[in-house]
Amino acid sequence: MRKYLLRRALFGLSTLLGVSLIVFVVLRILPGDPLVAMFGIEGFAKLAPADRAHIMEDLGLSDPLPVQYVRWMRDIASGSLGRSFFRGDKVSELILHRGPISAEIGLLSVLISWLIGLPIGILSAFRPNGLPDNVARTLSVLFLAIPGFWLGMLIVLAALFWFNYKAPLIVVQLWQDPWTNLQLVIGPALVLGLGQGAYIARMSRSCLLEVIHEDYVRTARAKGLKEALVVMRHALPNALLPVVTLSGILMGFVLGGSVAVEQAFGVPGLGRSLVVAVIERDTIVVQNLVLLYSVIFVFVNVAVDLSYALLDPRIRYQ
Amino acid sequence: MNDRTNDSNRSGGVDRRTFLKRAGAAGAGAVIGRHLSAPDLAAAQDATFKPDPAAKRGGTLRYGVHTAPVHFDVHQSGTVANIGAQAPMYDLLIRRDPRDGQTIIPDLAQRWEIAPDGRKYTFHLRRGVKFHDGADFTAEDVKATYEKLVNPPKGVVSPRTPLFSAVSDIVVLDPHKIEFRLKEARPKAFMLGSFASGWNIIVRKKTLDEHQGNLRQVMNYPGTGPFRHVSRKDKEVWIMERNPNYWNKGLPYVDKLEVYHMPPFSPELGSSLLTGKLDYGRLLDPVSWRKAKETPGMTAADFNQSVVQFVCMNNKKPPLGDVRVRRAMHLALDRHALVDVVKDVAPMLIGGFVYPFHEMSTPQTELISKRLGYQKDMKPAVQEAKKLMAEAGHAGGIKNLTFLVRDAATFKLWAVAIQAMLKETLNIETNLKTVQISQWFEDAAAGNFDLGISAIVSSIMDPSDYFTAWYGKDGPQNYSNWTNPGFHDLARQIERELDDNRRKTMVRQAEDILEKDPPILPISYEKINDAWHNKVRGQNPSTHFGIYDTERWDNAWLAS
Repeated sequence: MRKYLLRRALFGLSTLLGVSLIVFVVLRILPGDPLVAMFGIEGFAKLAPADRAHIMEDLGLSDPLPVQYVRWMRDIASGSLGRSFFRGDKVSELILHRGPISAEIGLLSVLISWLIGLPIGILSAFRPNGLPDNVARTLSVLFLAIPGFWLGMLIVLAALFWFNYKAPLIVVQLWQDPWTNLQLVIGPALVLGLGQGAYIARMSRSCLLEVIHEDYVRTARAKGLKEALVVMRHALPNALLPVVTLSGILMGFVLGGSVAVEQAFGVPGLGRSLVVAVIERDTIVVQNLVLLYSVIFVFVNVAVDLSYALLDPRIRYQ
Repeated sequence: MNDRTNDSNRSGGVDRRTFLKRAGAAGAGAVIGRHLSAPDLAAAQDATFKPDPAAKRGGTLRYGVHTAPVHFDVHQSGTVANIGAQAPMYDLLIRRDPRDGQTIIPDLAQRWEIAPDGRKYTFHLRRGVKFHDGADFTAEDVKATYEKLVNPPKGVVSPRTPLFSAVSDIVVLDPHKIEFRLKEARPKAFMLGSFASGWNIIVRKKTLDEHQGNLRQVMNYPGTGPFRHVSRKDKEVWIMERNPNYWNKGLPYVDKLEVYHMPPFSPELGSSLLTGKLDYGRLLDPVSWRKAKETPGMTAADFNQSVVQFVCMNNKKPPLGDVRVRRAMHLALDRHALVDVVKDVAPMLIGGFVYPFHEMSTPQTELISKRLGYQKDMKPAVQEAKKLMAEAGHAGGIKNLTFLVRDAATFKLWAVAIQAMLKETLNIETNLKTVQISQWFEDAAAGNFDLGISAIVSSIMDPSDYFTAWYGKDGPQNYSNWTNPGFHDLARQIERELDDNRRKTMVRQAEDILEKDPPILPISYEKINDAWHNKVRGQNPSTHFGIYDTERWDNAWLAS
């Protein structure tokens, strides 16, 4: 187990190193000038070449790329993650302030996806091709097809026009005011959860359909066990393995999707910060947030691998 | 209270041209103060914005405007992101009256004088004014501020430097008297407009010295303004509280000002206002604005902004160097259709090469009824355009022009419409290349385009500012690389002409040159949509010109 973890940690680190190099290089290759965001159209147009050079030097953008990369790695090692190009705010403070909101959205969306996806999957699997199954399958295809940000915008507009409601404008942490915090995160979590729930429903349905025709399920029924017990005790745990794997993969979609969905809901999470940083070309913020998302993705996948042993005692890590 | 009641303390019923005249007049009051009788001088002093005894005190005003500032140095900024959030913490030397947004009135300078030859501007500063950190305000602070604006130190960018290009010396005569000496005279309206520009906030000399003039990363530097900093959450909100030691006793009315950062023209901003999460919203999208207008208990107003939306034509690339081709393209644009295309995205106003709402420009009604290229009936303009194309040897059209488009909703909509208009009327074929804003400016500066669509802003409304920047030879925003010696000579004369009537005639002549030899294809001029809940009183921007000079909130109060 220890060896396995060490090996996964090494793989994870090399993945993150690769991500850091790619994001660093890509951000510097991409065309565009951060000074436009900094000075506005009028100010940028009136910048003399000497001023431009001086400011780029101040921002550390004139240094050779290896120097800039090493500086970034040093900032990561020190835990500060560097400062926003423009305002000088620490990126670590941004993450500490907005990270909890995005984390809540992510966790809540996974919870919602399981709460919606699993019951629907079970219902569909045990009553295949019936009306509930057909309705569930149609809805799951629908939610797979609808882009999260679009659904988000519809929800925002519906809340506005029908209930004259708008979510809070600024970050309120769970420990400060749980009710206001819930209003902030529930919309994006619901949209992301519905999308993921559709995947979970389809996957759990197909896995359960396979499992319920296995001998041990037939045996359980032959023993006279109640149907609920057959499902919960015998069929579901064996059908869950692919669903758990899928949830790990879907976490990547949640991270990616949260960028657009937070923007649609106007929720001040990390995803939204990433959008703004890209628009402003605040390279330091962008590269740190992309790396953070990669760390989370790697970590979730290791956790998913480890959870296999819990669900299937036959699996052992060596 | 409805809109009309809000206006009760305005100099009611005054049209914009009268306001403009006053702009010169109020300054000129003191102006002339030295040479006229005492009552005129007193009148100028009395023009200081006075508290309204009927106004209620207290409460928190929640204001939604623009995204968060990218840095904190207002002097170096060119966006309302800074002005919107920071201006309430600072004062200017002189200012635009918040009631009409145009008349120039005293601010930190209680009165001022202009030498008869127009080469000296002397400002008498208020006594007893304190910065938020308790320091006394003196002429040294004004000198340090303006030295930074006029001669920015290395690494500091001052987009307003050209406004003060005629200033040769800034001399402190005593702690409360300062003199600006000019190499050569400039029109009074231009100079006073420049001093009253909202960007030129007065900052402590000590602050500037400590940071070598660069305040880009200094979030909370002391001002003398009606509000002082409390806290800021990046990209969320900037919270300010009433300055209890404000020199203008009785102001501001509200105890707390919360400035929320929201993307302009966004549904997020609109919905926040409509649901009552904000009391006042600026830069609303037209749909939310119309909804606010229809909503009982809310008021909506629109006003003009100093931004032109345009298509630039790279004069260095044939055939766009040919004046006939440029004029033909100018005539082929159906501007009424273009304004209509974006009506649900951003509010726009048809105009030519000079701000259509400026007293020196050809009035908009005349433009639309008589001038080719602006009329609703496009037939005569298109006929003329086709004739010009034939004369230029392009009767069959032009192929493969690269059309550089800024990645924004309005530009993308317009680019497609203009592409179709040029193809249908003149058989000019363009290839759209949509890029991010920063890339647009890089490509435009490098000349990597044939046509380009974007917007530019001027610091002040006076033509002399943008005649140099937008159309001037090597002007920083002359993206077309356009030159016309006749125009450049005339622009220089306009810059120096002190007589308003002669200046107006010359501006009209310049307009004629620009119509015949277009440096850009003006599409329209931006308008600003504001709306607010009726509990917000004292603030109505209907007659304001632009959003940069009047962001202070010392005049606003809450009825409940």
